[in-house]
Amino acid sequence: MNSAGGESSLVHILLVDDGPGDVRLTREAFREVMASAILHVAADGVEALAFVHQTGAHAKAPRPDLILLDLNLPKLDGTEVLANIKGDDRLKTIPVLILTTSGSEADISTCYGLHANCYLNKPVRLEAFETLVGSIVDFWLTKAKLPPVLR
Amino acid sequence: MTVPQATSGTEVPVLAPYLHLAQLEGRYRGLLEAAPDAIVVVNQEGEIIILNLQAEKRFGYHRDELLGQKVTNIIPEGFAERLHADGLRSAEDALAQQIDSGIELYGRRKDGSLFPIEIMLSPLESADGILVTAAIRDISRRRHTEAHLLKMVEELRASNKELEQFAYIASHDLQEPLRMVTSYTQLLARRYKGKLGADADDFIAFAVDGATRMQRLIGDLLAYSTVGAKANDLQDTSSEEAFQRALTNLHGAIAESGALITSGPLPMVMADDGQLVQLFQNLVGNAIKYQSAGVPKVHVSAEMASPGRWIFSVADNGLGIETQYFERIFGMFQRLHKPEEFAGTGVGLAICKKIVERHGGTISVESELGKGSVFQFVLMCSTHSQ
Repeated sequence: MNSAGGESSLVHILLVDDGPGDVRLTREAFREVMASAILHVAADGVEALAFVHQTGAHAKAPRPDLILLDLNLPKLDGTEVLANIKGDDRLKTIPVLILTTSGSEADISTCYGLHANCYLNKPVRLEAFETLVGSIVDFWLTKAKLPPVLR
Repeated sequence: MTVPQATSGTEVPVLAPYLHLAQLEGRYRGLLEAAPDAIVVVNQEGEIIILNLQAEKRFGYHRDELLGQKVTNIIPEGFAERLHADGLRSAEDALAQQIDSGIELYGRRKDGSLFPIEIMLSPLESADGILVTAAIRDISRRRHTEAHLLKMVEELRASNKELEQFAYIASHDLQEPLRMVTSYTQLLARRYKGKLGADADDFIAFAVDGATRMQRLIGDLLAYSTVGAKANDLQDTSSEEAFQRALTNLHGAIAESGALITSGPLPMVMADDGQLVQLFQNLVGNAIKYQSAGVPKVHVSAEMASPGRWIFSVADNGLGIETQYFERIFGMFQRLHKPEEFAGTGVGLAICKKIVERHGGTISVESELGKGSVFQFVLMCSTHSQ
């Protein structure tokens, strides 16, 4: 497992999504495939940035190993959050996976243009959603080698 | 003066022996006044030398006020210029140029108001030189009707576009809350089956089934509205490649059914390639799906129907369709089978029809119950292959 500096083997995932239903579904799916992962939730773009920059109430937030980012968010849009993270030398190595219902080509291009690590559509069916979460865990948290954290 | 030669099927009306203006007018006065159009006769200097009653009425002048006056008084632009230009050419040229070709200009009434006119010019040789007869028709009403029609067409197009967008957005946005309903009823079913009593299991099963069906309907509605709302321009497209991509997408169904799929040479056509893939996918998918026991056989081919048009055929050895349903199966949400026989929402062929029609073609079926079906659709040739 690629976790920061060996201080802990816990995997921290930041889920940025404003829908409680989606958050719970994601939580349930992770429980099935990787119960040990710690899922942190930010319900809007501003909170997401506070979390990754460890400001305000999130001063003690852990550095996420993986970020799952929805696009339609209150306050600060997903693409703005993405641009901020990928524009920050300390944060840009964190894989950011866009996880959204939007299948718009414009959104897909914009996100890759802002260096999103991949763009995924939320599947409509429950089984497909669970399979997708399984694939994310398998690929990004198991198979992929991620760089050590810059301190 | 020599008698002009006939040119390209038209003849200068020769009034032999060349009549003088007064004689000419005398002889044709009755005809002139009875004409439904305004008629003015103009000389090479652009002066009005004869006019009829309709011309007086249309332009609001008394005859005496116009005779000898410049035609630019009543047709400010486009007419006198033409006279001048034609004056530099031979009568034959002028004739060949002008006869039978209506020119749309503006007329000016005595009160200064303008109105749209169509004029037909014809040169007329007389002892006083070449004259030009102009038959002038007020086309205000026609213009008004045209403008009205154009506006209606435009409005219709806009409202159609809006409707397509509406259907697209509605079906897209409806998926969101529905995803919650289906996902959570499925979670309920999975986690609490057998723990809440038989009634609860039934209720949950109905809820899951309803939500799943609705999800499929909305998904298909979205696919249907996407054909219009997310269309790409038609361009040169290999139907062979589109067909192969459709087969790749159908890989699961083909492997599962053991279907034998063959094809003849498939041409280049004018198409939106994504939609062409979907068209093949839906038709071949149906051919595999609506089968009794046995190996499904599907043959896809194309032949030139008429210059510029290809007829594609997707032939199968499946269940076949009764004649009375040939039209109906292309309608939205139209099904011929119960859900327990064949799953589906009845949108696949409606999508096919919409795609083909968007491409300027037609789609139809020939079939006999128990003997398979042949779906045929027409597409335009690619610009390169003509």
